[in-house]
Amino acid sequence: MKVTIDPITRIEGHLRVDVEVDGGEVRNAWSSGQMFRGIEQILQGRDPREAWFFTQRICGVCTTVHAIASVRAVENALGLEIPLNAQYIRNLVLASHALHDHIVHFYHLSALDWVDVVAALKADPAKAASLGESLSPWPGNSRKEMEAVKTRLATFVERGQLGIFTNGYWGHPAMKLPPEVNLLAVAHYLQALDVQAYANQAVAILGGKTPHIQNLAVGGVANAIDLNSESALNMDKLFQVKDLLDKVATFVQQVYLPDVCAVGALYADWLKYGAGVTNYLAVPDLPLDGKGTQFDLPGGTIMNGDLATVHAIRSFDDQYFRDHVTESVAHSWYAGNGEPRHPWKEDTVARYSDFNPDGKYSWVKAPRFDGKPMQVGPLAQVLVGYATGHEPTRRWADLALSTAGSIAHARLSPAVLNGTLGRHLARAVRAAVLSELAIKHWQLLVDNVAKDDLSIFHEPVFPEGEVQGFGFHEAPRGTLSHWAVITNGKIENYQCVVPSTWNAGPRDEKGQMGPYEASLVGNPIADPKRPLEALRTIHSFDPCLACAIHTLDVEGNEIAKAKVL
Amino acid sequence: MSRVLIIGLGNVLMGDDAFGPSVVEALNAAFQFPPGVTVLDGGTPGLNLMPLMMDYEVLIVIDTVKSKGGAGEIRLYRKADLSPAARSPRQGPHEPGLDEVLTALDLAGRGPAEVLLVGVIPESVETGTGMSGPLRAAIPAAIRVVQTELARFNLAPRPKPAAETPSPWWEAA
Repeated sequence: MKVTIDPITRIEGHLRVDVEVDGGEVRNAWSSGQMFRGIEQILQGRDPREAWFFTQRICGVCTTVHAIASVRAVENALGLEIPLNAQYIRNLVLASHALHDHIVHFYHLSALDWVDVVAALKADPAKAASLGESLSPWPGNSRKEMEAVKTRLATFVERGQLGIFTNGYWGHPAMKLPPEVNLLAVAHYLQALDVQAYANQAVAILGGKTPHIQNLAVGGVANAIDLNSESALNMDKLFQVKDLLDKVATFVQQVYLPDVCAVGALYADWLKYGAGVTNYLAVPDLPLDGKGTQFDLPGGTIMNGDLATVHAIRSFDDQYFRDHVTESVAHSWYAGNGEPRHPWKEDTVARYSDFNPDGKYSWVKAPRFDGKPMQVGPLAQVLVGYATGHEPTRRWADLALSTAGSIAHARLSPAVLNGTLGRHLARAVRAAVLSELAIKHWQLLVDNVAKDDLSIFHEPVFPEGEVQGFGFHEAPRGTLSHWAVITNGKIENYQCVVPSTWNAGPRDEKGQMGPYEASLVGNPIADPKRPLEALRTIHSFDPCLACAIHTLDVEGNEIAKAKVL
Repeated sequence: MSRVLIIGLGNVLMGDDAFGPSVVEALNAAFQFPPGVTVLDGGTPGLNLMPLMMDYEVLIVIDTVKSKGGAGEIRLYRKADLSPAARSPRQGPHEPGLDEVLTALDLAGRGPAEVLLVGVIPESVETGTGMSGPLRAAIPAAIRVVQTELARFNLAPRPKPAAETPSPWWEAA
């Protein structure tokens, strides 16, 4: 039996997943991007200093990450070092953005795969409160709070306003949380609304605006620093940022991480599903110098899930990374003979044909590292951190595993992270690490400014002839890289190899599946008409296919369906 | 406290999908807005609309819509029209659109009391900058709708003494 889920994502490009189900289990899978990504072509011939303005419009969710990768790519082509202040300000923007993204992904997007909101109405608020208080010192778990949330939810249901929640798979046999855990989750869903707004405010103060930041420049940032000026980045604004980061960190550490541990433990039977591709790639980020040779977050590759194989990626100019990235279009709707090509040498010439599971079936290319499919995202980030002995990653990952283990009455090792639930757990661990490091980089910025270093920008100079550059950023969804070829100061070629391309890409010329595809094989499917389990696995990657369009469908047309053939 | 958010949605790199941001550019070029009115180019943020739309009393959204009719025709919708009640099961984490953001904000008691969606039917939504003729021609009509709506709340914008020509950066060569 074949089940087609189309679309999986609507706003950030259009993802279709086909699974072959036999005996209640997925036997084969295809992941297909259903929309042409040719946005890079808009950049050809443009001024490289303006590229980031365009790239941050590739995707409306991942705006800042494409802006940062773009300026880094151009700086790399020029060998341009940026001032320390600029590096710290960028780091604060990217950490705040990532924290926002992770909180929203868990509470507002994917928790509904695991949490049955309607079941929360059966909860005993006192029991929910004592459960919450046993997991965390968070003040928002009080009995009064649980009662208020239950009342609010009941009123909402009575008015028939459930909307998004009634559209979830409530009552599905795979929904297993006790009512009290569901109520706690709804309470945290509401509290997370405030917290994600704090993270967004931090980005807005530093970036000038959200959702599209204004403060970047090739060569640094545009935030004038003057502690005594109203219009510049001053002490007042810096302390506002600090206050916001503190609030976000408290929530991440006291609510988000324990919640994911609890969900993971209560769905422990799911720990075995969804590993798929266990080659992992993460690049280093949060640079500590102007050049990008020292970082607060480590990067590297891991092959076959074996932490001992870790190979570090060390700098913005790392040759191991630069030389091993290729993209295959053997199963993608582009012209080419199927030979994998390096991003500097690629083109993007559309050749659409029908969906052919044995031939071409996706608009997404298939990125490979040294010829191998790689999983990117928080799980890769955490495993690479664990393997390289990164202290904050180890500390938070060990805490998460022991917390989940104590609820599940089991001993959990990092190996259990290879899978659907592990991706959620790793995302929460990464958020905890980022919440700590964001505050560290705030202090680094303040200390540097206190030394009277107010520099924010180094003027870029474009040489005659051709230069090539690459810029990477370890974005919320994983490794993002931009590749630019610049001739006489104009963009000649530009390619974005994005996290969801690594994960959602199709098979390559050797027939190797991409991570989404491989992770679906072996998943249980209790009810093919409501393939919740397949959605859980895909959602655990936080899918976001760049190239957003946004035509609203307001006239009740069916926006998505699971079709069983 | 900000009362009204005027937000243009759409991807400026996808042809007619730039309508919302283009109307925002045109509004900013022609008018001064009274305190309490925020005008924003929102892009395509999906559920990231939440922090942008929280705690306003009135929301005016300008976007492209799927509807029967000719390119450039304007369709108006109110909050009740945006109810997702009749929708099929939710599929993707990034699927949430305007309706789902409003539901989430309402559950938290942080959503706008009044919503006006100024929708335009696009001709072509494909990779590239610049809009089709019918959509360019529809900008003044969308602006009049926004003006009328603001006047209902006694927040009508004042024409700038010397109106500027809107010049969206994404259309520059």
